[in-house]
Amino acid sequence: MMNALHSVLAAVGEGRIQGGWEYVKAAYAICWTGLALYAVSLWARRPREEPK
Amino acid sequence: MEMRMRRRLEIAAVLGTLGIFAYAAWTGLVWAPPDREMGDVQRIMYAHVPMVQMMLLSGTINFVCCVVYLFRASWKTDALAEASAETALVFGAIGTTLGAIWGRPTWGVYWAWDPRLTTVAILLVAYAGYMALRRFVDDPERRAVWSAVTGIIIAVDVPIIYFSVKWWKSLHQVQSTPRTVDPQMVYALRWNITAFFLVLIVFLVARYRIALAARLRETTVPEPAPGAQQVVA
Repeated sequence: MMNALHSVLAAVGEGRIQGGWEYVKAAYAICWTGLALYAVSLWARRPREEPK
Repeated sequence: MEMRMRRRLEIAAVLGTLGIFAYAAWTGLVWAPPDREMGDVQRIMYAHVPMVQMMLLSGTINFVCCVVYLFRASWKTDALAEASAETALVFGAIGTTLGAIWGRPTWGVYWAWDPRLTTVAILLVAYAGYMALRRFVDDPERRAVWSAVTGIIIAVDVPIIYFSVKWWKSLHQVQSTPRTVDPQMVYALRWNITAFFLVLIVFLVARYRIALAARLRETTVPEPAPGAQQVVA
C-alpha cells in the first residue's frame, strides 16, 4: 500500500505523463516547417517593383 | 544609397528576429522545467500559445482595418486587411494543429468539439472563406467593401474564442496567470510570445507589400505608348 502511494507521488514529481518527446518533436517540426514554408511563399510572391 | 540602407536594415531585422526565435525555442525546449502533471509534453505550450495569440492579434488587426476601410477607403488599409487575414489563417491553422498534438497525450484525443476548439475552427473556416472571396471578386473596390463587411462579421468570433474557456467550462483549460506558474515557465513563455510577435510583424510587412503592389497594379491605368493613337468611342 505504502509502496504504491510512494510510486504515485514520485510519478507526480516527474510528471504523470512519462516521456512524450515524440509529441513535442512532431509539434515543433510542424510549427517550424509551416512557418518556413509560409516565409518561402512570401519570398516567391514578393513584388518585383517597390510600391510607391 | 537609401534603398541599400533600407535593405540592410530589413536583413538585420530578419536576422535579429531569427536570433530571438532561436533563443526563445531554447528556453522552452531545454531551459524551462518540465510540468508537474504533464512532464515534457507541456513544452508544446511555448509554441501553441503564442501561435494562437498571434492568430487573435491578426484577427483584431483585420477587424480594425475593415472598420477603418468602410469609413475612409484606402488601398493601404485594404492591403493590410488582406495581409492580416492570411496571417490569422496561417498562425491559427498551425497553432490549432499543435494544440491537437498536445491534446492526444493529455486529453486522450486529438480533437473534441469543445467550445474553444469549435470557435477556433469556425474562425479558420471563416478566414479561408474571406480569402476565397477576395480571389473571386474582380472589381477591387467591390472586393474591398465586401471583404471589409465579411471581416467585421468574422471578428465577432475573436472575443468569443478568448472568453469561451471562461463562459463554458469545458475540456480546454482556462488561461494561466504568472502567479500560478513557475517563474522559469513564465520567462520562457514571454520570450516565445515576443519571438512569435516579431515573426508576425515580418510576415505582415511582407504580405502587406504583396497585397499593396497587387492593388496598385489593378487600379493604375497604364500610360499610352508613345505614338499610340487614342480611340474615342
